[in-house]
Amino acid sequence: MPSLTRAWNRHGWDVVSVVLLLIGLVYLLLPLVWVALTAFKIPIDAFASPPKFISPLTLDNFKVLLTGPFLGDLGHSAVVTVLATGVAIVLGAPAGYAFARTRVPGQGLITGWLVASYITPAIVFIIPLYIMFSRLGLLNNFFGLTLAYETGLLPFTIWMMRSYFADIPRELDEAAWVDGASKVRAFVAIILPVAWPGVTTVAILVALAAWGEYFGALILSGPATVTAPVAIFTYVGILTANWSVMAAGGILVVLPMLIATMFVQRGLIRGLTVGAIK
Amino acid sequence: MIEAGRRGQSSYQSAASGHWSLGRIAASLDDQFFRLAAAPAFIVVAAVTLVPVLIALALSFTAYSSTNPRVAFIGLQNYVTAASDVQLRGVLWNTVVFAGTAVVLESALGLGLALLLRRSFKGVGIFRTIYLVPLMVASIASATAWRVLLNTSSGWVNYFLSLAHLPQPDWLASREWAMPSVILADMWTGAPVVAILLLAGLLGVAVEPAEQARVDGANPWQVFWYITFPAIRPVFAFAVLFRVVDLFRQFPLFQIMTGGGPGLNTTVLNYYVYQNTFQFGKLGYGAALAVVLVLMMAIPLVILFRLARSSD
Repeated sequence: MPSLTRAWNRHGWDVVSVVLLLIGLVYLLLPLVWVALTAFKIPIDAFASPPKFISPLTLDNFKVLLTGPFLGDLGHSAVVTVLATGVAIVLGAPAGYAFARTRVPGQGLITGWLVASYITPAIVFIIPLYIMFSRLGLLNNFFGLTLAYETGLLPFTIWMMRSYFADIPRELDEAAWVDGASKVRAFVAIILPVAWPGVTTVAILVALAAWGEYFGALILSGPATVTAPVAIFTYVGILTANWSVMAAGGILVVLPMLIATMFVQRGLIRGLTVGAIK
Repeated sequence: MIEAGRRGQSSYQSAASGHWSLGRIAASLDDQFFRLAAAPAFIVVAAVTLVPVLIALALSFTAYSSTNPRVAFIGLQNYVTAASDVQLRGVLWNTVVFAGTAVVLESALGLGLALLLRRSFKGVGIFRTIYLVPLMVASIASATAWRVLLNTSSGWVNYFLSLAHLPQPDWLASREWAMPSVILADMWTGAPVVAILLLAGLLGVAVEPAEQARVDGANPWQVFWYITFPAIRPVFAFAVLFRVVDLFRQFPLFQIMTGGGPGLNTTVLNYYVYQNTFQFGKLGYGAALAVVLVLMMAIPLVILFRLARSSD
């Protein structure tokens, strides 16, 4: 009997675990499989009732998207993603370093504000930004959209970078200073290279958030700047019930994200909690 | 930056010679390096968060609307309107139901999932990777997929239910099922998020105390409750905290799956603010409702933050 219990303890729970994880997988894969299959269906089959699982495969949905305005919208997404990520990193990395190394007056207050602005629902900022931008001519404008994205992304970046720089021993800075390097030089030539994996991880996480952003772009973008996620809602599929094209659009939005995430698996957990848990 | 660095270095000699020079200015700038490094970021943060928040607050005391875009102060009138807004009461209740139910289900499922993924059987690595996928799927994609999956005529879910001869509810348009449907779709990302965070916590916990307890005759439940869970309690509290934040600002699922309906059945506060502001054009009232949203969120967050901190 005891050996039987031991055998159960060793393998029984593993079997139970796998079975439970497989059940969970059905739920997990359901939307993914739907998107993957539907994107390659001819439009009529995509809303057949009862649903058709097997149907002739076609690349037409992608062709429709990539020869139409959606290609431009993917371009808009790329522009905003690059701008938002660039601004966040260029401004946020030095600030994160300063934050990790010194105490500034009112640090507690600034910390609180960064956390608060990161967790505040976007709509709180989007309402006033909408009014400000409409008066300043920044609606339907990449600069305006980038600024709006920074409401969440810049506090996130500062906070994440602080967490990465805090991992680097202070002795490294001090050694560089003692050797006569200026603080700027110590940062650029010594600390930044050490922190580089962290910088790229944060950059990818910021880019992922900007690329997938929906709400801000829905309100603040216009024909000249509409991003791919908003386009999927407005004209690609939901409002026209053109589901096969919509699924293809979904793939075009999600695929770059899946590829990018492969490079940041380890940073993902820090990113989810803004460095609160390492 | 590198240029500045070189200048900064040469400044040490010229500073010593006591003459004012470019180098000396650079040296004194270098002394202020941390302030200068932080300043641009904080100016931008202030411009895009502090200024808008103050404007939103001011806006909530005006009757600003898309048809009459003038700043006309009306005191507390918007808040008085909110207090007597019959719809708002239902909306607040929906918000509590949505966030409350989803956070409990996602935390419980996520914890269970993390405990399964922590085990070290063959192939667990594949599961760990697959369960990461929902975190990388843009909300717009999962929202549209769930909307069609739960569709009554060609949705897969009801088709499978019909094969099993089970009732096939009108998921998105019925009073009973609309909110559970949105919660089901939110759990799709929420549970894996919690699981991945807790898994990281669990993998960092030493296994020896649990082994020792098992040798001493503790049953699996006791081992979990007295040894494993206390070790990951701060992580757990943070995971719950981050879910609460995301649940209060969930937008695409409501907009795309139900549009807040049927009636106001799935209209949560964040969505109600959006409707009032950008669909009905009542920007002043919307701003007041946004203030209410922040205050409403603050309650669970303060409690959770205290819990997370106190168990550190």
